[in-house]
Formats: sequence, C-alpha cells, structure tokens
Amino acid sequence: MEALRIPQRHRLTLPVLILIPFVEPYYLEDRSCGVRTSRTGMKLISAVPGVHVCREVMFFSAARLAILIVLACVAGGRAQTNVVIGTPSQLKKLSLDELLNMEVTTVSKRPEKLTEAASAIQVITQEDIRRSGVTSLPEALRLAPNLQVAQVNSHDWAISARGFNNTLANKLLVMIDGRAVYTPLYAGVFWEVQNVLLEDVDRIEVVSGPGGTLWGANAVNGVINIITRSAKDTQGVLVTGGGGSLLQDFGAVRYGGAVGSNLFYRVYGQRFDRNSSILANGNDASDRWEMTQGGFRTDWYPSDANALTFQGDYYAGSEQGAVADTLVNGQNALGRWAHVFSEESELQVQMYFDRTWRSIPNQLAEDLKTYDFDFQHRFAGGERQTIVYGAGYRLMQDRVKNTSLISFLPPNRDLQLFSGFLQDEITLVPERLKFTIGTKLEHNDFSGWEVQPSARLAWIPATNQILWAAISRAVRSPSRIDTDFFLPSPPVPPGVTNFSGSRGFDSENLLAYELGYRIQPFNRLSLSVAPYYNFYEDLRSIDQTSPTSFIFENHFKGEVWGVELSANYRATDWWRLRGGYNYVHKHLWPTTTNALSTVREGNDPQNQFSLQSIMDLPGHLQFDVTARYVDTLPAPNVPSYFTFDVRVAWQFKNLELSIVGQNLLDNHHPEFGPVIGRREIQRSVYGKVSWSF
Amino acid sequence: MGHSLAPCSMILLGILLGAGLFAPRLRAQAFKEYDIKAAFLYHLAQFVEWPPEAFPAAETPLVIGVLGQDPFGKALDEIVKDEVVKSRKLVVQRFRQMEEIKICHVLFISQSEAGHLDQILASLKGRHVLSVGDSENFAQRGGIVRFVTEKNKIRLRINIDSAKAANLTISSKLLRATEVVGSGETRP
Repeated sequence: MEALRIPQRHRLTLPVLILIPFVEPYYLEDRSCGVRTSRTGMKLISAVPGVHVCREVMFFSAARLAILIVLACVAGGRAQTNVVIGTPSQLKKLSLDELLNMEVTTVSKRPEKLTEAASAIQVITQEDIRRSGVTSLPEALRLAPNLQVAQVNSHDWAISARGFNNTLANKLLVMIDGRAVYTPLYAGVFWEVQNVLLEDVDRIEVVSGPGGTLWGANAVNGVINIITRSAKDTQGVLVTGGGGSLLQDFGAVRYGGAVGSNLFYRVYGQRFDRNSSILANGNDASDRWEMTQGGFRTDWYPSDANALTFQGDYYAGSEQGAVADTLVNGQNALGRWAHVFSEESELQVQMYFDRTWRSIPNQLAEDLKTYDFDFQHRFAGGERQTIVYGAGYRLMQDRVKNTSLISFLPPNRDLQLFSGFLQDEITLVPERLKFTIGTKLEHNDFSGWEVQPSARLAWIPATNQILWAAISRAVRSPSRIDTDFFLPSPPVPPGVTNFSGSRGFDSENLLAYELGYRIQPFNRLSLSVAPYYNFYEDLRSIDQTSPTSFIFENHFKGEVWGVELSANYRATDWWRLRGGYNYVHKHLWPTTTNALSTVREGNDPQNQFSLQSIMDLPGHLQFDVTARYVDTLPAPNVPSYFTFDVRVAWQFKNLELSIVGQNLLDNHHPEFGPVIGRREIQRSVYGKVSWSF
Repeated sequence: MGHSLAPCSMILLGILLGAGLFAPRLRAQAFKEYDIKAAFLYHLAQFVEWPPEAFPAAETPLVIGVLGQDPFGKALDEIVKDEVVKSRKLVVQRFRQMEEIKICHVLFISQSEAGHLDQILASLKGRHVLSVGDSENFAQRGGIVRFVTEKNKIRLRINIDSAKAANLTISSKLLRATEVVGSGETRP
C-alpha cells in the first residue's frame, strides 16, 4: 500500500500535529522534543520561536472580583432563600394555610417523565452535582454514565459520547440554556470557557445517540443540554468560596430578587484560579489558568400563558502558555419567549448573540460572533398526534489572525446555517405504543443541503417501563479545520512536510440503530440499558497527495457498537447510589490506499465504569463518594485507571462546609494524549464554604 | 477561602448589610404543581361533610377519583396511602368515563376532559360528589372547587351554590381561606 511507505514517524506525528493548535501551546514544545530526529517535521516545528520564554506570574485579580461582587449586589430588592424541591409525602403534613403558601415550580407543562423518554437520556441533577464535589462543567459531565470524559491538562478536556473522543471531538451538540456552544473552527467545544455557576444549574440532560430530530446542528453522537434554574428558583443571596491544591481559590456571589410578583432576576459573579497539572516525572506542567465571569438572568411571567427570559454572561481569563499567556474572553446574551396557547399548543422563540475571543500567542487568534434565531411550535394534530416543527438561522462571523505556523484561509468567513425540522409523534395505542417520525433539514456553507431523518418506536408495556427502538441518519457537517486549514502557513518551501484541509471535504454521515429499555422495578430503583450500532461513512481521513503533502479527505468508513447501562438506587432514605457502565467497540477502515490507516479519529476506552454514592449521616453530616474506572486508550496508549473523589460536608441551616478530595487513589495519573509531554492529573483537595440566605 | 478572597467577602458583607438586603425569610420549599394539588385533594376531604347516604356501608371508603388523564402520577397515591379521614380509609380511583363512577366523594376532573366539562358537571347533579378541577371557569360553570394558580401559588375558588346543590357542607375554616363565588359569576 502506498500509505505504508511513509516513514513511521510521520504517521505517528501528523495526527498529533493537527491537535496542536487548539490543545495547548505546550504541546508544541513537547512535540518538538519528540520529533527532533524527524527530518521534515523538524523544519516545521522549529519555526516556533521562543519556546523557553519564562511565564508571567498569574495575578489574582481581587479588584476584578470585588467589582463583580458590587455589580451583583447593587441591584437591591428583597432577600429570599434557596428553593428546595419537596416530595409529596412532605406535603400532606402541612396545614391548609401552609399549603396555600407553597410555591409551584412548573406552571404549565407537565415534565416528561424519564421512564417515558424514548432516547438514551441520562440526567444529572443539581443534587448529583453538589454532592459529587465537582468544580467545573466538564467534571460534572463525568457524572453522566453515557459520556466519555478525559482531562487532558489543567484546562483542556476531551468529551464525547459513543466514541470518537478527542480534544477536537466534533460529534456532540452542547447547549447552555438553549445556546449552542460550538466553534466552527473544528465543530467542537472549547470546554474551559464554558463555565456556569454550578449552584444555578437545574440539571444536565445528556442524550447519547443522534437524539431525535428536534435538536440543533451537530447532534451526531450525542447532545448535552445544560439547563440553569429560573431566576424565580434562585432567589436570595448565595456566597461560596474556598480553596485548595489544584483549585487554588474560588469564590462566587449570586443575588436573586424580584420586582413585583412576576418578574424575577439574578446576578452573579465568580472567579477561580487553578493550578497546573503535572508531568509524568512530577514536575509542574506550567498550565495554570484563571477565569472571572459574571452574568444575569431575568424571568418574567406576565401571565400564565407567557414566560420571557433574558440572560447573559461575560467572562475573561488567561491560561499560562509557553511563550505568553493564552487570553480568552467572551460575551453572550439570549432572549426567549415561551407562549402557551393551550395545553395542546405551545410556541417558543429564541434569539441569542455570542462572542468568543481567544488569542494563542504564535499560533492564532480567533474572534467569533454568532447570531442565532430559532423558533419551534408544538401542537396536537387531533387526538393521537403531537406535531412539532421549527426553524432557525445562524450567522457565524469568524475572524482568524493567522501566524507563520498555521493559517485558516481565507482568514475571515461569514458562515450561515439554515435549519428546519418537523416531527410527528403518533399514538398508535393510547399510553402503550408511540411512533415518532421526523426530519431535520439544514443548509450550511460547506456541504449544502443535509437531510437528517429519524424514526422511533416506543412501547410502554406498563407504567414503570419503556422499550424503544430508533433509526436515525445524522451528519457531522464540515468545519473550518476540514477545509480552510494550513500547516505550516503557505507558501511552503519545497521539501517541507505540509498539511492542509481540502475544499472538497464533505459531511461525515452516520446511520444509527438504537435500542433502549428502562424499568423502574420498584420505587427505589431504576435501570436502563441502551445498546446501539453506528455505521459511519465519509469519516475524516488524512490522505497523502505527495511525499510531503497531506490533506483531509472523507476516506474512512467505520462502525461502532456498544452498550450503555445505568442504575439509580435509593437504598434508604439517607443513602442513594447511581452508576453506570459503558462498552464501546470501534472499527474504522480506509476506502482508498492514500488514506493513512493510522488516522486517529478519537481515542476511546472500551470499558468504563462509574459509581456515585450519596449518604446523609446523623449530625447534619454528608459523606459522598464518586468513583470511576476508565479502560486503556489504545492509540496513543494511555493506561487504564481507577480513582475516586470523596466529599465530607456539614450542613446546618443555610451554611454548608465541605472538604473534597479529588482523584485520591494515585499521586497522579494521565487521562489523554501521547506519552511525550503528557499532562497528568494529580490528587487534590479543596475546602468550601457555602452560605445562602 | 483563598487569602486574597477574604477581604472581598468582607467588602461584600459590608455592602449587603449596608444596602439593607439582610432580610432573611424562612427557608422556602417548592413543590411540583400537581404534587400540591394532590395534597389539596387530601385536605379537601377533611374539610367537607358528606350526607350519610354518600356512604352506603360502615366500611365504605372515602374515594378520591381522577377523571380523564391523570396529571398526578404517583403523588396522589403517595399522599393518600394509609390515610384515614373521618374514620374512613382513603382510596384513589381513576376513571376514564363518567359511567365507570360508582362511588366517589372527591372527583378531580382532569383538563383532558375540558371539552365536555358541562356534560360531566350536569351528570354529577344530584350526586354527593365534590367536583374539583383546574380548567378555565371551572367554578363558574358549576364545578365546586377550582384550583387557580396565582403568583406561583395555588388558590382555591369555591362555588358555594354548587356545593349546596350537592348537599355538601364545607367547613367555614376552608371557606375563610378561599375565594367564594356563585354560579354564573364571571371573573377575569
């Protein structure tokens, strides 16, 4: 085979190089050591100047936090408390008057019960998050048994579902309160800038699989939906703060108030400083970072039939880099109007603006502005049908500042996405058998029209169980790295290994066959099992076009099959367990001889296991353990690991004190990346005070 | 808390105290809408007197019925489980149609039946059934107790005429806590 004549080194190095620009400036330095003997690769890498420049000391910006706190407090109003969702059995102990004063959490819609959802959905609740002691969104996502989550270094993460995990993972749709956090640079997520005040998260819904037709673009292998609480449910003051070894210091303030009886708001500010991860030899990996963020949310319920939400965030931070710090900042604002015409008819309209800016010294800077408009309407079509349709438009203005190392050409692109969907849920047998059929229709600037139909059948043999099956087609539409990317920047001197995207790059296609079964055999236990078979065509390949030239093409096919198991068990009133197991088998093959068979589209563990134990002890004490096992990653090899987090907390009235130890089993362990220069995640501990009133 | 943070929290506290925001309330607890409504059904049974003929036998339980699509899920069963009111066991029964109802004391008429509410209420005439619902104008159309959601709280609106027509006596304690209307009155 033609491809096999490439020197071994190239085949190992190229995929890694592709990851370099976005992963972390230090990879460059580490890789340059690793490929020093490579004749052509060396020329390319040595173009990076100033590899050994000292880093600047990070400043803890007390002033910045103070400003945020002031902002969070000037709004004024009456103080209320945190709202806790109660159980029905608590209600019957109340007097009539007390009952009349109870607050309702959801006004109109009856939320779909988990046992009725015909998809591989897992939900992480606020309680799960709080009791796990996690300190960031990516850490919280470890609590979803159907996700693969690997920490790459202090600030970078690889997160995927059903395989293809990578720092540039490109097959997930991630939304925060309906706002897609998506970079058209590589069709993925810059995880470290996706921060929310974890105390304000209502729940995180994680759907593995294409997730039906309703979701937005890029829902190929899964959908992550991060939903924060209504401002109505976050009334009062919350102050948290603490510090420790890896999470050096953090603080957050939130104030929620009301104007009149139906307009609610909250403002918050938070910041943190995180310490570096370490190298295998125990040395500091010099990737400290810090982030400051503030934001607001208002929820206005002018009548029973209308709800208006307006929210926004601002963040700025810096990440220690090889040459100089990588700087990031971003702003977003979102407005949403939900209108209920009747029980059978609902309309939702939403608009948002999102700007992200990132400057990686000597690599690239990107300024992305996203404007998005969506609506959807649900109505009953007769007694047996529920129809949902919607449409959306998105404009992404992407401005890249190129360097001699890498380029996106043309540097500036305005990308438009038109999307529409239609879905019909047909009740074949009332309360027993439902058939859902629908399709998405999208037009993007890279591959044109894309049709993504889906059909699913749900059988509910009894109220405590559901069996469902689905067939869906989904596409991963091209992104700028697939078409506009050049490494090194042109003109390339003859004889220098070079790599580029290709204009002809087309969408990657998935045909997904899914099954699922959920059962609640008794009140305290729920179980789910979700096997799947995914068949991919036109997967991204790296093709060799000359001895020194490589381009992205669509010359791989693949199949992935696996099964996801999860369980939730309330053993006693004071002890709850939740856990899961995940099996993934992936097999990819090239469709031309030019496609390099060593292309690394993801590095996935075959087996993964997680368990969370949440225990209330006497004396207002809480004892919680979260454990996880991740199998060996095949290529590049990362050893399997098992580790656990422990949280001990004392909660009295509105005050909570906690101590959390994370990754306790080993001094340090790697989770992702090639062995040379690989970051490892060390054992860490932090303390936290949380006070609400 | 990190050393640099401490001064900030002091600043914050100062601001909070100075701004008069320090107005703590009791720790609030919120419940799902239909969990609360389920609890109300249980309470209503305690504040209503049925005529003796509503209970044919000494061991006749007090029946809380749900007509149409059940919005309560397990909440109603959980609340009613093992409860005794007026020395009668409480039971929950679910009905798809009026014809299925043999004995029933409190009947929640689901919004799924809103289309033929008038027929349902008409066929309840002369029976000793406390009709409860949350459809539009439920009380004005002749239902006895309507759940009204106002400012995220559940209020009760009671049609005293309908209650009298059903020969039910509603305790004054309940009436004091609710809004009383007559038939035919319209409200925004």
